[in-house]
Amino acid sequence: MSLDVRLRHAFGSFILDVDFTAPAGVTALFGRSGAGKTTVVNAVAGLLRPAEGRIVVDGATLLDTARGVDVPKHRRRIGYVFQEGRLFPHLSVRQNLAFGGWFAPRTAPQPDFGQVVALLGIAGLLDRRPGLLSGGEKQRVAIGRALLSAPRMLLMDEPLAALDEERKAEILPYLERLRDETRVPILYVSHTVAEVARLATTVVALKDGRVARIGAAADVLSDAGAAPLFGPTEAGAVIGARVLRHDPDGLSELAAGGGRLLLPRVAAAPGTTLRVRIHARDVIVALRQPEAISALNVLPAVVAQIGGGEGPAVDLSLICGPDRVLARITRRSLIALDLAPGRPCFAILKSVALEGRESGETTAAFRAEDR
Amino acid sequence: MRPPRHRQLLAALLALCVTAAPPASAQDVMIFAAASLKTALDGVAAAWSAETGGEAVVSYAASSALARQIEAGAPADVFISADLDWMDYLASWGLIDPDTRRTLLSNRIVLIAAGTDAPPVEIAPGFGLAALLGEGRLAMADVDAVPAGRYGKAALETLGVWGNVESRIAETENVRAALAFVALGEAPYGIVYATDANAEDNVTIVGTFPEDSHPPIRYPVALTADTANPAAADFLEFLGAAPARALLEAQGFTVLDPTDADAHAG
Amino acid sequence: MPTLTPDEWQALALSLKVSFWATALSLPVGLLTALVLARGTFRGKSILNGLVHLPLILPPVVTGYLLLLTFGRRGPVGAFLDANFGIVFSFRWTGAALAAAVMAFPLMVRAIRLSIEAVDARLEDAAGTLGANRLWTFVIVTLPLILPGVIAGAILGFAKAMGEFGATITFVSSIPGETRTLPAAIYGYTQVPGGQPQAMRLTLIAVAVAMTALIASEFVARRVARRIRDG
Repeated sequence: MSLDVRLRHAFGSFILDVDFTAPAGVTALFGRSGAGKTTVVNAVAGLLRPAEGRIVVDGATLLDTARGVDVPKHRRRIGYVFQEGRLFPHLSVRQNLAFGGWFAPRTAPQPDFGQVVALLGIAGLLDRRPGLLSGGEKQRVAIGRALLSAPRMLLMDEPLAALDEERKAEILPYLERLRDETRVPILYVSHTVAEVARLATTVVALKDGRVARIGAAADVLSDAGAAPLFGPTEAGAVIGARVLRHDPDGLSELAAGGGRLLLPRVAAAPGTTLRVRIHARDVIVALRQPEAISALNVLPAVVAQIGGGEGPAVDLSLICGPDRVLARITRRSLIALDLAPGRPCFAILKSVALEGRESGETTAAFRAEDR
Repeated sequence: MRPPRHRQLLAALLALCVTAAPPASAQDVMIFAAASLKTALDGVAAAWSAETGGEAVVSYAASSALARQIEAGAPADVFISADLDWMDYLASWGLIDPDTRRTLLSNRIVLIAAGTDAPPVEIAPGFGLAALLGEGRLAMADVDAVPAGRYGKAALETLGVWGNVESRIAETENVRAALAFVALGEAPYGIVYATDANAEDNVTIVGTFPEDSHPPIRYPVALTADTANPAAADFLEFLGAAPARALLEAQGFTVLDPTDADAHAG
Repeated sequence: MPTLTPDEWQALALSLKVSFWATALSLPVGLLTALVLARGTFRGKSILNGLVHLPLILPPVVTGYLLLLTFGRRGPVGAFLDANFGIVFSFRWTGAALAAAVMAFPLMVRAIRLSIEAVDARLEDAAGTLGANRLWTFVIVTLPLILPGVIAGAILGFAKAMGEFGATITFVSSIPGETRTLPAAIYGYTQVPGGQPQAMRLTLIAVAVAMTALIASEFVARRVARRIRDG
């Protein structure tokens, strides 16, 4: 399945001009507020008609302004999960969920009601009214409702933005299961790097109305040139690691492609694969294997790419086995250590910095080589 | 603490509102007149204004409605009714000045038809009015309250056709509204004053009711008891003068001399 | 309280009949108009809005006169309807119902429009993305949510129709049994000396009916709103 989007639309002085193709899985549409993400999603859903554009989902042309094709929104079969949920207040949760099913075409494969309810953990809410649900519950129902309309793809517009940290942490596992267990492709809008890192298969980064970078999640997040898009505190790579065991002193040992990782205890059982997020600013680069330091994770690496820019800090993309890790260091050190592409070095990560909260289970592939 | 400017503005605005409604100056007269007088009395009022410089404001409606309004305290100076009963009614409540009362005009009621060339109808006892009406209705002013309606009903009763047409009446608030219904073709026939029929081009007088079939049509005029307006008495006198007579007669009214007018005890 | 005379009953019954039909037939039109005004975007929307409110602003007699010219025996629409469908307004209760409907229309549309505007249009968008076309969206999402407003508008329209006088008497005069509605009867009694008791009785009835309608509309609207919210 693929998503083909080409759009051009002007809002006053802001011009949106995007052109991208995304494969199956979760495609994260990332960008700062105002970068044009919601406009793209609304155009795909049929809620907005761009001045010029062509949108093809899984071979079906939904919009082609050049040929006068504009499928009305109720026939596009695109499930949309809105930021505010938008559940129908006068219908019960069960009726809200069933709503999409009432209008799904007979020929489409009908999703199983029980399965979706179980996937999202909302069985206990079925007879309630939306007015009595918490924010997290509402969003889960909204996701269920969209799924049950047998969509050819799901759109999610910052579905976690209106929730507090607790609720977000509660829902993210459901979204991961959604990604891994259903075959419905998802276009996920977010301005939060943590969500993107945890969920995305593909990342489309928008800046000022244009696509700045597109690629597999692992590649985009470890790209030194793309790091400015994510900002100094949020930039960082995502690598896959399998849980080996949980040590009695509260640490968990994982096996990553480039070496062993020790983190504070993660909730996953041994054998599960996790995505581990490594903030670039938490990575120290050394030319020689350090001795007698507190950091427990020292991975052999090779410098692959040095980011641009002129400030006091610079981003480096390091190759660690099959993975890439992003490191952010001072320009002074870059020069002092004479780091250049090809230079072997060590990436040092504090265990404590690899806080488990940001790591989620994954079974889907998120590196280009895995697809 | 509001700035003084706002207070001043507000005061000025209020003053404007109060003075904008022009108070009746000593020269103006307020006249309540039966609806059937409209065309004729407008001319008289204009003539009086031209002569005296004051303004004669006339309010036309059914005599019944006007009498009720005066009873409720309306600020009329002069009342001209289309029948004696309503003037008597006000007199019994002491609302008119009996010394100023006189009977001014006489009129005839006629049967009118829509259009400009309707065939004449012979008005005789038992004439086939119901058959003429067919599916349509006979437009008349309210037969219980409005003078024109009461005269009409009396005439029809005398001629013995009231029972046949009683359920076919379309009653209106005043005689001019009945005239309008016939003029528009909404009702095929109507009973109005001869003067009304003269004033309207789109109707034809197809018959005149015999004067003995109804009580004499008399238009009494009087000053209201409350009025202290000298111009009112002046207007009253003007009504009897030659120019006013000419205007009224031109419309078809019969102007009565003071001597033979007061057939009814004033 | 003394019982009513046959004439008074007749006026009351006629008023109820006229107002009921006026409300029932103008409700669908009012609903559609309110929808168009609330959600539509097209040129001439403000003109439509102006036309809808005209009966509210024009003197009732003027409205009645315009009805007479248009729907009367010789009026363009009146003659057409009579010739082709046998529908006659002239001096008939249908004319009284038409006059009442026209005068009540703006109030009805206003109330319904306000309740449509209170419904989040984004809910309608959501329904669209879930596969519901505009008609289904209206029936399943919008209509239930605006129901309190529709009921309030209908009852308000009914109350206004019960009180309509100027346009009715100008259009179809005051014919007992056909067009002599409650207000026309009250007016008639006030014009005749000695008609005070009847006028008073009918006035009290008119007030009672209007108050009941208004209180009922509040009550029902609130009940329905609560049902919708809580299930």
